[in-house]
Parts: sequence; structure tokens; C-alpha cells
Amino acid sequence: MYRDFGTVLIFAMLAIVLVYVPLFIQSLVAPSQKTPDKLDNYECGEEPEGSAWVQFNIRFYVIALIFLIFDVEVVFLFPWAMVFKEMGMVAFIEMGIFLLILIVGLAYVWKKGDLDWVKYNVKYGRGRYRQKASQTEGEAVGSI
Amino acid sequence: MNNLLSISLFLPELVLTATIIIAIIVDIFSVSNRTSKVSNYVIIGLLATLAAVFLTNHSPTTLFMDSLAFDPFASFIKSVVLVATLLIIIFTRYSNEFKGYHTGEYYALLCIMVFGMFLMASAIDLITVYLSIEVVSLMSFILAGYLKNNPRSNEASLKYVIYGAFSSGIMLYGLSIIFGLTGTTKFFAIRDAITTLDSSSNLALTLSTVFVLAGFGYKISAVPFHFWTPDVYEGSPTPITAYLSVAPKAAGFALMIRFFNQVFVDGDSLSTLGWYADVSFAWPEILGVISVVTMTMGNLVAIQQNSVKRMLAYSSIAHAGYMLMAFPTISSEGVFAVMIYLVMYLFMNLGAFFVLIYVAQKQGGENFEHFSGLGWRMPIVGIVMTIFMFSLTGLPPTVGFIGKFYLFVAVINAGSAFYWIAFFGAINTVVSLYFYMRVVKTMYLDGNPSEEIIVPPLSVTLILLVLAVPSVFFGIYWTPILNWVNNSLLFFVQI
Repeated sequence: MYRDFGTVLIFAMLAIVLVYVPLFIQSLVAPSQKTPDKLDNYECGEEPEGSAWVQFNIRFYVIALIFLIFDVEVVFLFPWAMVFKEMGMVAFIEMGIFLLILIVGLAYVWKKGDLDWVKYNVKYGRGRYRQKASQTEGEAVGSI
Repeated sequence: MNNLLSISLFLPELVLTATIIIAIIVDIFSVSNRTSKVSNYVIIGLLATLAAVFLTNHSPTTLFMDSLAFDPFASFIKSVVLVATLLIIIFTRYSNEFKGYHTGEYYALLCIMVFGMFLMASAIDLITVYLSIEVVSLMSFILAGYLKNNPRSNEASLKYVIYGAFSSGIMLYGLSIIFGLTGTTKFFAIRDAITTLDSSSNLALTLSTVFVLAGFGYKISAVPFHFWTPDVYEGSPTPITAYLSVAPKAAGFALMIRFFNQVFVDGDSLSTLGWYADVSFAWPEILGVISVVTMTMGNLVAIQQNSVKRMLAYSSIAHAGYMLMAFPTISSEGVFAVMIYLVMYLFMNLGAFFVLIYVAQKQGGENFEHFSGLGWRMPIVGIVMTIFMFSLTGLPPTVGFIGKFYLFVAVINAGSAFYWIAFFGAINTVVSLYFYMRVVKTMYLDGNPSEEIIVPPLSVTLILLVLAVPSVFFGIYWTPILNWVNNSLLFFVQI
């Protein structure tokens, strides 16, 4: 049984060799000119600004989570579209139920205000989200 | 059975899914502070699910390409879980811990958890096993931390997440080793593959089963995977504590019974004592030791507690130990005893927790001193709590006695090799008498018997009676439960 894993071992060894041999060769032949620009962090071509260790707003996380759900939905839609002709009505109803569940989720997120970038009704707000005494609950308090 | 044909037998889960969606929709359209409306819909939905569980009758089979089993055993666990959930929803409506919180999502999350437990009760595929455990775990993390402004609740949630992630990671590793050894994720195919393994893979098989046991042990809070239990139980809102100590435990035991009886033992007759796999590892003894250590630890630490809630948390660890007692025997009698105990445990434990909720509201705390003199001030609550404490100890004529009786019978009948487990079980029962009776003693002998008598409102009395009457009634006349369990002791088995 262990002999079956020999293939895996050879594959792993080949993978390691194919990564490190080119790296080794280029370290021998490539010219090395280190300029400040080259040693800088890569930030999508922009000039790097500040440290990477900054605190992100938690709202990015919520948005990313919502995005992920609908992203996965699309991933499921592609194979469904491929077999739609053979499956017919069953596939249609099935996908309808799936989409319905997701739409309920979207409606929930919308109603709870997680799609608003500017938050209303912050209960224990601080800083720019602090509720002003003159404003009653329900009015916009934050700024962009 | 193929996917489309399976749908008709998947009816309970479909009704449950509809309930979840309706709960969310009702929550969306309701005015923010009137969310008890959601619980009405959820109660109706869960009752419909319970009806669907009883209505879907079919000979045992598998659903969705052999990933779920449909058999009376699964239906039994589903009914137990549903009854527990309905009671918990009533507790939640009564509890004042959720004042100021939006409870619409709470009910939806509870229903999703029920869905996960339905899958746990019927999973016969390693992937379904893992997914169902994760669904239940994720929902319990959120529910344990539902009281956002309470630091204890947040602590409970975070501790639960860390332990949960760790143990489910270990379990996943074990499952992947099993898959590597056998090349399949289906229980029955694994059983067939294991019998043909040569002895060189014994180590891997042993290791993987230990890892899988870590995941199951975490779910039923068996020692040494129990460390999360006291803190999570103490910090969570009390209805959720009551729920976690009953329903996921029942589902965890269902999963464990199915896994061990169908992968390692001849799952058909359920009466052989030998393990299927040719492993030179003392499995029954290991499970026996886990059982004994679990109940001893639970009982010994429960003695020292000052908070009744924490005492009940440790007592639930001890009860998991009692139920594990029947596992090493690997007999249908053992499974039978565990199933009876799950039903009995449901009534007595939920009852004790409801009394705790009520007392915490009236007296403003959950410690022993808040119970002092309670038996004279609130006679009904005192009597009912005494019944539950007798029952948890296992004194006749209560359900606790019947449950323990069958467990001990199963262990003794399995032969003299298991007498030591019964011996430790008996000693532990005596030890547990001390801290359960301490509650009764505090209620009747401590404090000053005051003149005023508090009569709980009718709704509370009704809930107390719904839990206390079965606790005594089934302790005297338990034939209905016996028949139900007897009819449910039927697994799907692939020859």
C-alpha cells in the first residue's frame, strides 16, 4: 500500500527541484542592482503610503462577507446553466428555491442596515458616530 | 435512493427550512421591539416539523446518494431534539435575560441549529458528519454570545469558538486519515474496507479513530474534551445553557452510536461484542475509562460549586459520563439504554434549568444563597425542584432512576469484564447525591421561613407541571417510553 505513495513522493520532489533550481540559477546569472524603489512594498503600482499595520473598519468585513455569499451564488449558477436543458423544470424550481433563500438573506441584510456605509442608529456610538443630543434616534449622525 | 426520490422522505427537514425562512421574513417585516411574534411562527413551524417526522413512514433506507440514513432511530432523535427546542422557545419567551435584545434572529438561529442536529442524527457519510457538526457548532457559538452587552456571554462565545475550531480541526484530520485508508466516505463502504486492511495500517486506524473521538467527545463534553463546558454554560443565557446541555448532546450521542456501531461493529445484529476491525487496541476499555473519568470529574467538581448554574453544568458532564457507560458494551441493549436515558434526561434537566431561570428572576441571582428558604417562600417551585434533584440523582420513583436502571442493566448484562464500570457508576451516583441534595437542603433548612408565600403565575406553574409530571409519571409507568424506544431501535444497515 505504501508503494502507491511513491508517485506522490516523486511528484513532491520534482516540484521542489523545479522551484529551487531556477531560483538558484538566476541568483548566479542575474545582475543585482538594488534601488530604493525596487526594495519598496508593492501596492498595486501606487506609491506605498504608511504602515501596512493599520486598523481596518469592521464594515469592510461585513461587506466582504456579503460579497462572498453572492459570489458563491454565481459559481453555482454556471454549472446549473450547463445542465439546464437536460434537467428542465426540476432544475428551474431547484434554482428558484436556492435564489429565494439568498434573496431573503439580501432583504435581511438590507433591512438591518448592513448595506449602508453611513450608519444610522448607532447605539453606543463613539467619535464621529456619536449621537448628538439635539438629534433623535433614527436620524443620520455619521459622515462619510 | 436518488436525489429526487429522497425529497419525499426529507419532508421534516424541508418543513424546518421553510420555518427558518419564514422566521427571517417575519423578522424583517416586524416592528423592531415586537419580535415575540417570530416565536409564534417558529413554534407552529416546529410543531409541523414534529408532525412531519411522525408522518414520514418508510422502511429504513438512505437519502441523497447514501449520504443520509432514513430510519426509526433518526426519527427518534429528531423528535427528542424538537421537543427540547419547543420547550426552550417557551423558556426564552419567559426569560428576562433577553430584554433589550432583538430576538428575531435568535429563533431563526435556533431553527438552523435544529436542522444541523437533524443531519447529525442521520448522517452516514464522513462529509455529512463534519458539515452537520459544523452547522450545530457555529449556531451554538452565536447563541452562546447572544447577550452582546454582557462580558460573560462574550467570553463564553469566544471560548466556545476556540475549543470548537480546535476539536473540529482534529476531527477533520481523523476523518481524512480514514478516507485515506479506505478510499471512501460512506460508513458502510468504510466498514467493508476496514475488514480487508492488513495489520500495517492498524496504527493509522487507531490514530484516526482517536481523532474522530475528540470531535464527538467535544460535542457531548466528555473528559478530556470538556474544558469549554463550565465557562460556556455559565456565560450563556440560561435557556441556551439548558438547550446546549440536552439537544446537541442527544445529537452527538446519535452520531457516535451510528459511527461506532456501523463502522467498527456488525451494525446489523448489534449484539456482538467483538469489533469488526482487526485492531489490537482495547477500544471497549478506552471508552469505559473515558466514561468513568467523565462522570467522576463532573461529580467531584460539581461538589465545590457555589453557583447552581455552574453546578448543573458539571452535572451535565457527569450525565454524559453515565450515558457513555453503555458504549463499551457494543450491544443493542446499551444503545437502548442510552436512548431511554436521553428522553429521561430531557425532562429532568430542562426542568432544573427552568426552575433556575425563574429563581434567578425572582431572587436576582443563581447562587446557592439565592435558594435559601425558597421551599417555604415558593412551595410549588420548591417541590418541583426537589423532584428534579431526586431525578438527577437517580432516586426512585423518578425518571432518573429508570434511566440509570437500564444503563446499569446493560453494563451488567455485558459480562464480568464490565463490572468495574458499573461499580464506578454506582459510587458516582452516591457522590452526586451530595450536591443535588444540597440544593434541597438549602431550600428547606437554610434561611428563615418567611410569612409571605409567592405563588408563581399560572404560565410558570403550567410549564413546571409539564416538566415535573412526566418526571414522576414516567418514573412509575415507563412502558410508553419503553415501547417508543423499542420501536425506534432500528438502524439502516447495508449488507
